[in-house]
Amino acid sequence: MTALPTRRVEEWKYSDLARALGDAGFGDGAAKAVATAPDGVEIVSLENGNRPAWVAQHYGKLPANVVSAVSLAKAQGGIAMRVRKNVAVVAPLVLNISGEGHVRLLLVLEEGASLTVSEHCDPAATRNTGFEIVLGENARLDHVRLSPASAVVQVEEIALLAAAGAQYHSHFASFGAKLSRLEIMIALEGEKAEAHLSGVSVLATGHADITTHVAHKIKDTHSTQLFKKVAGGKSRAIYQGKVSVAPGADGVDSRQTAKALLLSREAEADLKPELEILADDVKCAHGAAVGDLDADSLFYLRARGLPETEARALLIHAFLEDAFAGVASDDLREMVRGTVNNALDGIAI
Amino acid sequence: MLEIKNLHVRVGDKDILKGLNLTVGAGQVHAIMGPNGSGKSTLSYVLAGRAGYDVTDGAILYNGENLVGMPPEERAAKGVFLAMQYPVEIPGVTTMMFLKSALNALARARGQSEMDAIAVLKAVRKKAATLNVSEEMLKRALNVGFSGGEKKRLEILQMALFEPKLAILDETDSGLDIDALKLVAEGVNSLRSPERAMLVITHYQRLLDYIVPDRVHVLSNGRIIKEGGKELALELEAKGYEQIVKDAA
Repeated sequence: MTALPTRRVEEWKYSDLARALGDAGFGDGAAKAVATAPDGVEIVSLENGNRPAWVAQHYGKLPANVVSAVSLAKAQGGIAMRVRKNVAVVAPLVLNISGEGHVRLLLVLEEGASLTVSEHCDPAATRNTGFEIVLGENARLDHVRLSPASAVVQVEEIALLAAAGAQYHSHFASFGAKLSRLEIMIALEGEKAEAHLSGVSVLATGHADITTHVAHKIKDTHSTQLFKKVAGGKSRAIYQGKVSVAPGADGVDSRQTAKALLLSREAEADLKPELEILADDVKCAHGAAVGDLDADSLFYLRARGLPETEARALLIHAFLEDAFAGVASDDLREMVRGTVNNALDGIAI
Repeated sequence: MLEIKNLHVRVGDKDILKGLNLTVGAGQVHAIMGPNGSGKSTLSYVLAGRAGYDVTDGAILYNGENLVGMPPEERAAKGVFLAMQYPVEIPGVTTMMFLKSALNALARARGQSEMDAIAVLKAVRKKAATLNVSEEMLKRALNVGFSGGEKKRLEILQMALFEPKLAILDETDSGLDIDALKLVAEGVNSLRSPERAMLVITHYQRLLDYIVPDRVHVLSNGRIIKEGGKELALELEAKGYEQIVKDAA
């Protein structure tokens, strides 16, 4: 069996997966994914060995890290989803992932197709999810993922390929686990492909790691990343983001921002944005900041009558707000906001 | 209403106010004028209760109660309002949402009933129009991208909404052109009342052409060195601070 990474592996230095899992590993259960799909989405079970050609064409083809490779080898369940050429699906596809063990997902949007996915991770069981996403030319995927607070290990790897003009807009809201990691590997392979990633981590306790790789493989591709973290108690919030620009990929525009607010002395945030630029004419910016609430703002609000805890709560909400302001669907944005508000209620501020 | 006695204030390891005495009665408007570094902003912050401004001696009596050590929100609830020189920008909080939070926090602290969103909107609209604060400004994030004039108008709008008994205006004229200055001054003048005291802190005499004070105090090196009627502001303008400080020495 492939050895799982420990913190001695650079990319996993903030998330010692082997140690968190212990001898039991991900267990022998059969984790599953259930999709409540609106009209226009085809769904195929991956348990069935007799897979249609479009599944066989894409399944297990995207680059994988070591953990994703394990899920590919061991997963017994999962689903593949497809939206055909030029079909615009308006209602969101709701994806529920639950159970213990490994599970695989494949989503294919053909040329010109569009879809919104609302992904929910059941917090009860130790799980490893491997997700492959293929976006055809000018396809658009809006992806909102919620991972509620959990006492166990939950990891997910997303590999995504975007053809020319394709757009990926995602928001990842995580609320901590014994070890929680979302790793996304994006290849912008066609001109004018775009990826816009955002996320919030609101941690009363536990660990949440968001690791991103965005590869600008060709000219005129565009990416933005905005991640905000609020860490209380003894929690640990991690962002590792690597943007790479291939030789000759001129006209690339990439922005990367990660900020964390620490609400207790024992909380920790590790923010590591990275750039690797091998092209000449590009616009890339990155920034990271860890801190406490702004003293001027706090005084301003209190001087206008807001009690200290209320003033702090308002500033914390404000800090997080712009990270999910970009969620296109009003319903999903409200869902994220509601979940964030509930999580903040559970943190001593 | 306000009686400051022998006030000594230290910021970090530096003494800024060194025995300041000042009395402002209800219904009066007093101006504090002084050169840069004289302690004007320290005075405004210490009155509002900002952390980091340590009162090492003296008292700030407000309606007979000592404000020293009282948290800023309690002072606000009791009717102290500071219009700030540099209102802060808070992305992620709309101006309207901020006004509602502040109005309701004050209402709770003052034992009044809270207002729902519609009642707040009505109250704000009524006062916003005269200060030329647009609906669009109210929808924007608090002070974010506001011009200097817009920020100051929003400060005065808050002053009108929160109904303070003691209003302190810290360099409200800074960064304003003459039209914006007039608009702000009109807003302030409309809030003059027999129950309300105002302390107008400014470097320049210009603002006092429009907000005419009952008394003028000159602050230098942490103390009031001279006081007089509104004509003192004109004298300062004519002679300059240096001469007045010399004369007082």
